[in-house]
Amino acid sequence: MILKTTNLCKNYQHKDGLINALNNINFEVNEGDFITITGASGSGKTTLLLSLAGLIKTSSGQILINDFDIASASDGKLSAFRKNHIGFVMQSFALIPYLTAIENVMLPLAIHKLKNNIQTERALALLELVGLGDRKNHFPKELSAGQQQRVAIARALINQPTLILADEPTGNLDPTLAEDILNLLKSINTEKGITILMVTHSPLAAEYGNQKIHLKDGQIV
Amino acid sequence: MNLRKLIWLEFKQHKSQLVSGLLAITLGIAVIVGIRSISVVSEKAVAVNLDNLGANILVLPQASNVDNYYSADIDAPTMPEEYVDKIVTSNLQGVDNLSPKLTRRIKIKNENIVLTGILPKNEIASKPMWQQSGLLGNDIQTSCASTNSANQSLGLKDEKLQRKVIDSLREDECLVGSAIASRLKLSDNNNIEILGEKFKISKVINETGTIDDDRIFIHLRKAQQLLKIPGQVSAIEIMGCCNAISDGLLSKLRNVLPDTRITTIGQIVATQIQTNKMMNKVSLIFLIIIVFVGGISIGNFMWANINERRKEIGMLRMIGFNKATIYKMMLTKAFVLGVLGGLIGYVLGTMAGMWLGPELAGLPVKPVPSLIFVSLIISIGVSIIGSLIPSYLAGRIDPFKNMQEV
Repeated sequence: MILKTTNLCKNYQHKDGLINALNNINFEVNEGDFITITGASGSGKTTLLLSLAGLIKTSSGQILINDFDIASASDGKLSAFRKNHIGFVMQSFALIPYLTAIENVMLPLAIHKLKNNIQTERALALLELVGLGDRKNHFPKELSAGQQQRVAIARALINQPTLILADEPTGNLDPTLAEDILNLLKSINTEKGITILMVTHSPLAAEYGNQKIHLKDGQIV
Repeated sequence: MNLRKLIWLEFKQHKSQLVSGLLAITLGIAVIVGIRSISVVSEKAVAVNLDNLGANILVLPQASNVDNYYSADIDAPTMPEEYVDKIVTSNLQGVDNLSPKLTRRIKIKNENIVLTGILPKNEIASKPMWQQSGLLGNDIQTSCASTNSANQSLGLKDEKLQRKVIDSLREDECLVGSAIASRLKLSDNNNIEILGEKFKISKVINETGTIDDDRIFIHLRKAQQLLKIPGQVSAIEIMGCCNAISDGLLSKLRNVLPDTRITTIGQIVATQIQTNKMMNKVSLIFLIIIVFVGGISIGNFMWANINERRKEIGMLRMIGFNKATIYKMMLTKAFVLGVLGGLIGYVLGTMAGMWLGPELAGLPVKPVPSLIFVSLIISIGVSIIGSLIPSYLAGRIDPFKNMQEV
């Protein structure tokens, strides 16, 4: 087991009253799983993903990733944990426009004490893996949406994470490109054994998961 | 990839922002450097002019006054010569040159003259303690007068000869003021009898227009012996650094020599102090302006930069950059801005000073290398202080700025 949530709750205080964004969430993820989290807008998918990454504080409950207690850790420890164990793939790609593809891929290593040649080797190998070895010196604006997402996936892999958290990774892509990206994530999951948790509202994308979590009003249904 | 490279690439990306951010601090530093470059030369010129007017502090016996000193009456009070050593051993800052004197009015061939015992420079040079204290006259310092003999022209045609004579006055030699020489019809290398002893006139001093024209100078030791007041002096003339005088040198001297009367030649000192204070005030006003305007400008630039990069910073936080790393990145950037602002400001200010100095102050202005450090310290300090709040706020940017639903 790589991840476990126990009685996870997240409440927001709103002018209209208390909102239960996450309500008593319990699930387990094993190493090598590909989990898809689906649900309508506002069902709590992204809140759950943010909570799992320690990016927002939960109201109650426990999150354990590799026995590290996310819910009670300090900001500094959470940063270190994300740096070493988690890769992120976002709908908006979140590439830095003034960095080339290879520089974007190497970005997480700026806070690792790795020699430059090792960084370059690793980044080049990942760009090859996502099929962009010949685009390493291209800036994001010189790449298509699908290529940008591939760079983002390579960046998520550079710190050799145990878990990839993906938030609507195909949301900005047309169906063909979306399928390419999903196939890429699936191959990374199966070939590298990296656990993936993917939030999506696409039923087609949800089919890629070996375990599916469906949220409704902050609860697993 | 490392933080330095990341900061550098970001700088390259926002070159135009960088220029506008640097503008205020660079101009501020340039103004300060320009003013200081001119004022350093100006203060030095004032110091040189004042130096040529002579000593600016007079130590007299408690019972004496300035009139007694200049009239050199037969019964004018004296004080121990060892007071000179007391001043030297006190290591007071700002005492540049000491000149003990013994004066008495005497008659030679029915002419009233003032006999003045002085220590020639070669005797002062034989006192190691005096030398260590730098009392032989240092290189001229900004806003601090220097010694006449060591540094400054006396405006005499045979200046080198004159200095040599004063430097090495022997006990059987004397220097004669021009008015006395004229009245007694004396010239160089003549002999003269003073209080029953023969002296060779090593030099007739050219007319100075001062009381010195009516004096005969002999070696202090000889004067003490002839006047039968051994180990005593009438006054100690001090060349004091005017800044030190304004910082309380007189009261410090009074503590060292409590039973003496210590006065300044007020007008001269006041003039220099006033000039120096005015220059310092102008610099201070600009310093305050640059701290506010430069700091706000840099802070505004940093804040705009951070706002523009909120998503980027959020992403960095998400992939593991902690708050301290974000602060470090922002403050490193501020440091680089400070270095650039300081260096460019120094160059511009120096060029402006060199161009405007001759126009405004009538003086040639040279670059003042020490102002590089001052410029850098002010610029870096202002830049970092101005960036503190934006950097703190950057560290507080939510790491989930890139999540689609948020």
